[in-house]
Amino acid sequence: MKTSALSALLLGVLAAAGIRAEEIVVIVNPAAGPISKEQIADLYLGRSGGLTPVDQPVGSAIYVEFYKKATGRDIAQVKALWSRILFTGRGLPPKQLPDSAAVKHAVAANPNVVGYIEKSAVDASVKVALPLD
Amino acid sequence: MNFKLMVAVAVSILVFGAVPSRAGIPIDQYVTLSGFGTLGEVYSDYRQADFTGNFLQPSGAGHSRSWSPTPDSDLGAQADVNLGNGLSGVVQVISHYDPDGNYKPRFEWANIKYAFTSDLAVRLGRTLLPTYERSDSENVGYTLPWVRLPNEIRYSNSATHGDGIDVLYRVKTGAVTQDLQVQWGRTSEEFPGAVFRGKDLVVLSDTLQYGNASVHVAYQSMKYTYAGMPPAHFRLASAGFTYDPGTWFVTGDSNYAHYDFFGDFFAWYLSSGVRLGSFTPYAIYSKEHAPTSAPPSGLTSLGNERTLTAGVRWDFAKSLDFKLQLQRVSIDTLDAPASFTKLQPGARVGDKANVVSLAVDFVF
Repeated sequence: MKTSALSALLLGVLAAAGIRAEEIVVIVNPAAGPISKEQIADLYLGRSGGLTPVDQPVGSAIYVEFYKKATGRDIAQVKALWSRILFTGRGLPPKQLPDSAAVKHAVAANPNVVGYIEKSAVDASVKVALPLD
Repeated sequence: MNFKLMVAVAVSILVFGAVPSRAGIPIDQYVTLSGFGTLGEVYSDYRQADFTGNFLQPSGAGHSRSWSPTPDSDLGAQADVNLGNGLSGVVQVISHYDPDGNYKPRFEWANIKYAFTSDLAVRLGRTLLPTYERSDSENVGYTLPWVRLPNEIRYSNSATHGDGIDVLYRVKTGAVTQDLQVQWGRTSEEFPGAVFRGKDLVVLSDTLQYGNASVHVAYQSMKYTYAGMPPAHFRLASAGFTYDPGTWFVTGDSNYAHYDFFGDFFAWYLSSGVRLGSFTPYAIYSKEHAPTSAPPSGLTSLGNERTLTAGVRWDFAKSLDFKLQLQRVSIDTLDAPASFTKLQPGARVGDKANVVSLAVDFVF
């Protein structure tokens, strides 16, 4: 009896999470070229330069989901990787912006900036470079 | 700085919540402050020597006392200065148990960097040497999957940092990124009771990255003097790799070193771990072996030992981890085995030490 109640509760939680998880897209400036999922992972894990990645607030739902889907890593792993880059004087982690509107604004203003936002937040000021699902 | 003061600083950083959500506290548009540290305790059941966190430490756990915080505890602070137009600088100060037996802070990084392009930069000043895959971040426990870099791999090279100039060049060939580094300069490293000085230091290093796989190779050469002996030559070649798709990892590193006076050294390790939520259990096998038959020093088995390690990293809170590590070290020489100091007359080749390490790592 207890087990089935627990399973029902778990299913409910999972269903709710499924409904609430919104699709995330990688966005670039309308003037920018194409970008692959491998390039995104390299940029956000500090393995390559060239473009400037920007972040959503660390620990926010979209941040956690983005890193899981784009790099296969959780917050602690990402933190450990960037700590290594930081404390060997090789660079600073991506700049953190407060929300999707700010990310969109930064990407729209600079063809070298890459960001990620909810699919529903996309408008004509930016271009979807890659859907993440 | 003494140990109690260092612990007090570290604990107040942890308690008073100076651990924001990411490394780096922007002070203004030019300066970012960050820091890291480890609070560790090590137990060793071997009474005939002290187990240390690296061969430069004058004492540790086992003979002097059963439990010791000295092998792994450290505290570091860093300022990154970005002046724009490609000009930046970094200063890192670290306090850990040093050859003098205290926690006097020292400069680990202090250099200015000029980036000609996003792929080509030159640095002037002090850097940690990229001799091993993880040597440049070995003091930052949070960046390691284990409590510490295996002592054996660190043993072959006396120098940890270089003062001079280096050039960093990034080459992209399709999906492969190569980070090339050429460094010229000199070095000095304080040992318990003596100073190791190196000049004409040249380091070549190449890190190849292909997705989740990376390979690191390096070569180092210098002329050194140690404890008043005549100048001699030192060379070292190293090769390591890591494959880390996120849910598990495998990594290994190796090096072969030659000192004119001390002979040759060969060290390597292999390690793997699995990520299960916030827990990452791991295992390491590491070995140091001196293959020279008759070096001028007369020490034919300097540093020899083998270690089997099992442990777990637990990422229990943001920017914090806890590690528990169990090790069985086989002592293969009485000439300064890599992990030990203060060898007692009762020590024998073939002795085993069981070592337990506890550590909390943090970054802010």
